[in-house]
Amino acid sequence: MPLHHGRRNKLVPMAAHVGPNMAPMVDVTLVILIFFMLGSSLASKTWFLTNHTPAIKGGLTNTPPTHREPPLRLRINLQQRGTHTVALVGSFQTEDLVGQLAHWLVKKKRLFRKLHVQVLLLPDKNVPWQPVITVYSDCIRAGYKHVAFGYPR
Amino acid sequence: MRLNRLTAMESHHINVTPLIDVVMCLIVFFLLVGHIARQAAVRGVRVPVALHGKTMLDKSGQLIINVVPQASDVPGVAGRPRIEIWSQTVTFADLPALLTAYARRNPGLKLVLRADRSIPYRYIAPVLAACAQAGIGSVHFMTRRPS
Repeated sequence: MPLHHGRRNKLVPMAAHVGPNMAPMVDVTLVILIFFMLGSSLASKTWFLTNHTPAIKGGLTNTPPTHREPPLRLRINLQQRGTHTVALVGSFQTEDLVGQLAHWLVKKKRLFRKLHVQVLLLPDKNVPWQPVITVYSDCIRAGYKHVAFGYPR
Repeated sequence: MRLNRLTAMESHHINVTPLIDVVMCLIVFFLLVGHIARQAAVRGVRVPVALHGKTMLDKSGQLIINVVPQASDVPGVAGRPRIEIWSQTVTFADLPALLTAYARRNPGLKLVLRADRSIPYRYIAPVLAACAQAGIGSVHFMTRRPS
């Protein structure tokens, strides 16, 4: 009899471990879930351009933010001529917003060096949103940190 | 004694409880995310392409303003666009008050402007002005990477 008792006691704990262990599968499933969540957010085709708009009571303004030195103002006018959008900065004007204008902005930024420059985008009321974003993206790429939007006349 | 041994062997089936738990969690998760995503992003908006931009990993506290193009009675002329926030159509006049209320309730508000690339600037400027009036200092323009 003592021998029988001993065998029974050994069999009982073994019976609890029979069958596949699901814990690793659950772990792997959760890891895959997190991987796809992060992967989908990184692989997303959308990205963002952040604008720190000067916020005052009257809406968008030409008034530059307060700085120790008065900032230089670079006014970029955008005009719609037929299906094309033309950028005018002083005497310089171009339809090539991605190439020529971007190159010109980089060249000017090098001239300004460490001077604080505020860019003011002044699109006409008929200019579509795409060229406005293209010029804004050019400014950010060229290293201008303060880019404001003007209200169309 | 034999009967007792057989009783102990009965629990040989696979324990599927954790699997069901995980599957249920996944279903609930995708249902909620799908519902929220459908509410936040309105169809029919083609965002502009930008060569420069940043990905936004932390999407908490986002408020997406959709500026949806509308067809007009005159062919070839774009109509006045529709503004949608959380599937609710908002008028241009109501936008400043609404944004002010949002900004007061959520101090860490991330405002995303999701406007169609064809919309004339005269309809975008009032939205930007409303953001400025509401005291929202930063606006994130949703764009698309060039393909």
